[in-house]
Amino acid sequence: MKRLRVLKLGWEFPPLINGGLGIACLGLSRALAKYVDLRVVVPRIDPDAQFDGFTLTGLNCTRVEDLQKVEGTYQYDSFAQVERIPIHLDPYDSDETLSTQSVRSSGGLARFSRTTRDQLALFKMGELYGSDLGDKVVEFSKVCAKLAMMQDFDVVHAHDWMTFLAGVEVKKATGKPLVVHVHASQYDRAGADARGWIFELEKFGMEQADRVIPVSRYTGKIVAGHYGIDPDKIRPVHNGADPVEVFQTHKKFPEKLVLFLGRLTAQKGPEFFLEIAARVLEVNPDVRFVMAGTGEKLRPLIESGAFRGLGGHFHFTGFLNKEKVNELLSMTDVYCMPSVSEPFGLSALEAAQFGIPAVISKQSGVAEVLKGALKADFWDVPLMAKHINDLLTDDELRARVVKQAQADIAASTWDAAAAKVVEIYHELV
Amino acid sequence: MPAVCLYFQVHQPNRLIPYDFFRIGDHAFYEDDRLNAEILTKVADKCYLPANEMFTRAIEASGGEFKFALSLSGTLIEQMEHHRPDALESFKRLVATGRVEMLGETYYHSLAFVHSRREFERQVALHQEKLGEVFSVRSRVFRNTELIYSNAIASAAEMLGFQGILGEGVDWLLNGDSPDHLYRAPQASKIKTLLRNAKLSDDLGFRFSDQNWPDWPLTPEKFADWVAQSPGEIVNLFLDYETIGEHQWRDTGIFDFWERLPAAMLERGITFVTPGEAVAKIPVWGRYDCQTPTSWADRERDLSAWMGNVMQREAIEKIHVIEEAVLKKKDPDLTHAWAKLQTSDHFHYMATKTGTDGEVHDYFSPYASPYDAYIYFMNALADLHVRLKRLPDAAGVSVPGRTAG
Repeated sequence: MKRLRVLKLGWEFPPLINGGLGIACLGLSRALAKYVDLRVVVPRIDPDAQFDGFTLTGLNCTRVEDLQKVEGTYQYDSFAQVERIPIHLDPYDSDETLSTQSVRSSGGLARFSRTTRDQLALFKMGELYGSDLGDKVVEFSKVCAKLAMMQDFDVVHAHDWMTFLAGVEVKKATGKPLVVHVHASQYDRAGADARGWIFELEKFGMEQADRVIPVSRYTGKIVAGHYGIDPDKIRPVHNGADPVEVFQTHKKFPEKLVLFLGRLTAQKGPEFFLEIAARVLEVNPDVRFVMAGTGEKLRPLIESGAFRGLGGHFHFTGFLNKEKVNELLSMTDVYCMPSVSEPFGLSALEAAQFGIPAVISKQSGVAEVLKGALKADFWDVPLMAKHINDLLTDDELRARVVKQAQADIAASTWDAAAAKVVEIYHELV
Repeated sequence: MPAVCLYFQVHQPNRLIPYDFFRIGDHAFYEDDRLNAEILTKVADKCYLPANEMFTRAIEASGGEFKFALSLSGTLIEQMEHHRPDALESFKRLVATGRVEMLGETYYHSLAFVHSRREFERQVALHQEKLGEVFSVRSRVFRNTELIYSNAIASAAEMLGFQGILGEGVDWLLNGDSPDHLYRAPQASKIKTLLRNAKLSDDLGFRFSDQNWPDWPLTPEKFADWVAQSPGEIVNLFLDYETIGEHQWRDTGIFDFWERLPAAMLERGITFVTPGEAVAKIPVWGRYDCQTPTSWADRERDLSAWMGNVMQREAIEKIHVIEEAVLKKKDPDLTHAWAKLQTSDHFHYMATKTGTDGEVHDYFSPYASPYDAYIYFMNALADLHVRLKRLPDAAGVSVPGRTAG
């Protein structure tokens, strides 16, 4: 079989990452590079970062001269009708902004003209998910289309909504098949009733795509049901988990430790964790609950915890770096992930690598991978609490859950994920 | 002509380190020693030392007619012992003039009365002991933390042998009467209540340096004229010592003002009394019925500065709920560490008030937000719990309610 050439479009890439997307993109890219010729294009890279096996292009390091060859040979199809784009875009806000700005105001006929230094400069400054996210998404698409025209490849593979527009543009410019990868959707981030620019982009991207790869069957159902995408082109592929260096730390206090790790937003169900903690502490006071992470719900959660009288047994750490997270994992007894909607949930796999049994919500992708983990609906606080209590008190159960998790992790490699993705490419080429 | 009764509160808390979760069970020292020493040094140099000197000169210049009262918290006295013995010596010299009366308070500048009568009495006794040890004096008049006052507190102070107690003269309880008299609480038989004249006190403590205040600049003569207009026997000016030189800097003219104030008063026939002298010679004018605790803090003049939100209420409840368990261990270090966590300032930092009062809370807080203050406090408290669990019970102590064996 001939070695495929793949153009991959991503948004964040290590070491410049905000969440799990960058880590997943790197994991998959590394593994894919063994099977295909891979070029990854993202808005911004760390110029000092080195990756073997694939080519990484950051628009922050791209010069106007690099695009010279294809200037004027193609007109941006998708933008012909774009008049206005949203400003102050926040993917985690279900109430998407109504304020927009005219695309024409900045540079008049820019959408049909040459890429300017100003446009490329956009990728050098500001936050990747800053208030000019809308601008970045549009400019990224334009530049990607040009870059795509300057090289040969067989498939374009776009990761999450920020790159879907670019993926569609590349497909139109080159006629190559498009695969879109859904790591998270607006349904997860902002709820089932979230509508707006991001939702529309997601739907548009998935409709235009030849294959949609959700990171779990759970997300596949959302793609089909919520976004109305043809189930025949949906191919779930579970994420892998890179092995982490595992160590044990002796706890400095006698109580057991139950951990919640994640952004403190509605999606992750932190309020449920608080309720679960209150339940567990009613029957077992020798437990400490730790909520690691930060987010817009931090302050209300602190107040809610104080109101329930959980302080002293319920601890907030705020944002923790990787090192601190690992230190925390090394002394954790039970990992709890009560997410309201979790496309995958890599952190549960990382916890499993530390030999920590997990109690996870059924509304998560990782529930399909961790077969032995104890599960409950995210809203089923009594059952979640019972699971935690059982794991804290029943050593045999605990050992069983941990053992099954070890087997599940062993199967969860990026290599396995990449092999499936390559099969999907071959359906198209 | 009224007499002026002047009292300054002198207090510094032991601020906590950013005590994060990872320290629990491992780090048994909760206080930010460096920060506390730094702030003490700043305040000692800007306020305590120069103000003590200035007042010593004023006392001499007045031929001993000028006198006032100080209340030093136990936590501040300890801090000076450790970090600035020179400042403590300066206070001792001031007290040695014989014109400065020392008031009694809770050693830890705590809200103990609101939660535990036993702990309250323990701390008042500790403070009395410390005054004897350091200043060789015994207090006769009591002032509770942040001027927190109620009928019950007045009665409790009376039971402890105090002859007078200080309180905030709040409008809704005075009901049109002037704070410039001596009052008595309904259930008290001997103890007299001195009420702060909030308007005149705050003129000196806050408005003095406010250039937008219509009466700015305030001169000793103008202020003495205002005092002379009082309808009562006594004008109680109660304020923080740190308002001289620290909250209001030297360049506002605050030192000069205070140094010249005694002469301006005396020239108008206004005499000075200390709280102890006042209760000895001024009769009770009327009844002051304060059923719910009041204080001198915030616009509400109640306990909301320390117990206004759920974080504050939980923190304070959790510190007091372990009283029995802590005292039972008979471990002086543990007891001291626990009691220091009762200092009212810890809860003051957790206030989520906005507006002018919110700004006051923020001004004093060493933390980025009230939420941080709460988190660090609760983590430190969690560590105290761990220590409590680890310590063996004190030998030979029988636990009430349990049979031996």
